[in-house]
Amino acid sequence: MALHEFVPGRANRRVWLSLLVAAVLLPAVVRSEYLLNTAVLAGIYIILTSSLNITNGYTGLFSFGHAAFYGIGAYTAAILATRLGAGFWLTLPMAGLVAALFGAALAVPTLRLSGIFLALVTIGFQEIAFLVTLNWIGLTRGPMGIPGVPPPGLFGFELRGNTGYYYLVLALDVLTLFVLSRVVTSRVGRAFIAIREDELAAQASGIPTFRMKVLAFVIATFFAGLAGAVFAHHARFVSADSFRLDETFVILTMLIVGGMGSFLGPIIGAVALVILPEASRFLAEYRGVVYGLILIGVILFRPEGVAGVPGIIQPRGLLARRPAPPGGEEPAR
Amino acid sequence: MSFLEVRGVSVTFGGLSALKRVSFSLGENEIVGLIGPNGAGKTTLFNCLSGFQAPDEGSMLFGGAPLEARAPYQIAALGVARTFQTSRVFKRMTVLEHVLIGRYRHQRAGLWGAVARPRWVADEERAARERGLATLALFEDRLLPRINDFADSLSYANRRRLEIARALVSEPRLLLLDEPTAGMNPHETAGIVTLIQAIRGMGITVFLIEHDMKVIMNASDRIIVLDHGEKIAEGQPSAIRANEDVVQAYMGRRGDRA
Repeated sequence: MALHEFVPGRANRRVWLSLLVAAVLLPAVVRSEYLLNTAVLAGIYIILTSSLNITNGYTGLFSFGHAAFYGIGAYTAAILATRLGAGFWLTLPMAGLVAALFGAALAVPTLRLSGIFLALVTIGFQEIAFLVTLNWIGLTRGPMGIPGVPPPGLFGFELRGNTGYYYLVLALDVLTLFVLSRVVTSRVGRAFIAIREDELAAQASGIPTFRMKVLAFVIATFFAGLAGAVFAHHARFVSADSFRLDETFVILTMLIVGGMGSFLGPIIGAVALVILPEASRFLAEYRGVVYGLILIGVILFRPEGVAGVPGIIQPRGLLARRPAPPGGEEPAR
Repeated sequence: MSFLEVRGVSVTFGGLSALKRVSFSLGENEIVGLIGPNGAGKTTLFNCLSGFQAPDEGSMLFGGAPLEARAPYQIAALGVARTFQTSRVFKRMTVLEHVLIGRYRHQRAGLWGAVARPRWVADEERAARERGLATLALFEDRLLPRINDFADSLSYANRRRLEIARALVSEPRLLLLDEPTAGMNPHETAGIVTLIQAIRGMGITVFLIEHDMKVIMNASDRIIVLDHGEKIAEGQPSAIRANEDVVQAYMGRRGDRA
């Protein structure tokens, strides 16, 4: 079974269960707070990357605005928690819903666009979200950010240590991956992929493509919002700087390195690219160079990423490989 | 009332008319061929019928339902399926996934159904799979052994077959086939003719664009001829073969030859 087919299901239940058991046991093995903190970060990026994969990977809608929705979720949670004293279990779904609402509001007028035009609009939205956050001081405290977001409470206990956060993020990862795996293996997910592969043929097959594209956007932004809430309650502080275009590129890079349009890809990409900068600290100022080289290497030698769908990214120009010979006619029998 | 009633359909692109007041009707369970030289407007007519091109004027009634204001997916939901002139398979979807997409309009699972996956969704998926496999079986051993292969690994002829399978599995009442035998060798072409007859046997009306005259003459009950966007002839294959206007449309007028 190729890596890109590796979606949680009956056939590979054991593998995914063992991965889960390993993840559950991790804090017992890793005692370093620093490493656990890195793991929490990886967990947040798994949600972000997997959700971006729904639009960019499965549906073929190139969105460059994921960090904006991540930020909308984080600010929603921070504002609700600090102004209204809302607890994490309320701010979490609210962050998802508000982000999804913005997602739908952006999707409905813009999803008639495709390709580079959609990418530009989402970059524009990303910048607008940043500027509004920075300037709407009454709501967001502008450049000062919002400090003092309380930690999540669980059965009357406050979740403070990294172990607690780790299990919280792990639970959310399991939830996210469960939901997304069900989506991508369903009638809905097939419609997403069909739209990516050939929108006209998808329409001719009875798929309401516009509605399905909006749905893909709403799903992706909802989970970005959830990740935002986790970030806000974990960092205890939100600021507009955390959700700029470069953050979108971090998520996008994880997705591309891991592999678009595959279920495992974003998980691999998120974990690898969170660990890599930490593991290469000894390289000091050359870290960025190594990171860049790895990226270029992936694009050059495996454009679909570690676990992506072969052929999903087709390099053009100098990077193009020789085209495969066209499928020949069958011999007559 | 006839099964499909097209009245005075016109389409212009810029100043060029692609279709000029084309009228015809299709009866239930007929096989009707649509022929004409390149640029005659055959594919434009198919695009109108499947909702990809809004006619500038005219009406199209399918089983009493007007088609002209409907989106492609709504027309598909009425039971009109089509294939495309240049193959439009989903390259990175498997053969099985193609026929499951074909069942889309018969399935109900939305987001909640997909996530919660209650029993009815599982039943629906199983039924779609069975139906899909049964449809693939119509193509003998061409597609069935490859159900888990991506469409871009298929041969050209098999891609065309897969496209027909995807349309057929949706149980259409009207099937629009745009040059199904293009690029096929004579043996494969003969297989498609047999298939078209079998499709009619399922109670489906077939409207067929084809350049291969042997196919069109053998398969069609009736033929409609377009030239420069106008219907110039309509009738039985034998009558069309003898029709002077049709011969001229294909060969050029006597005086035109240098």
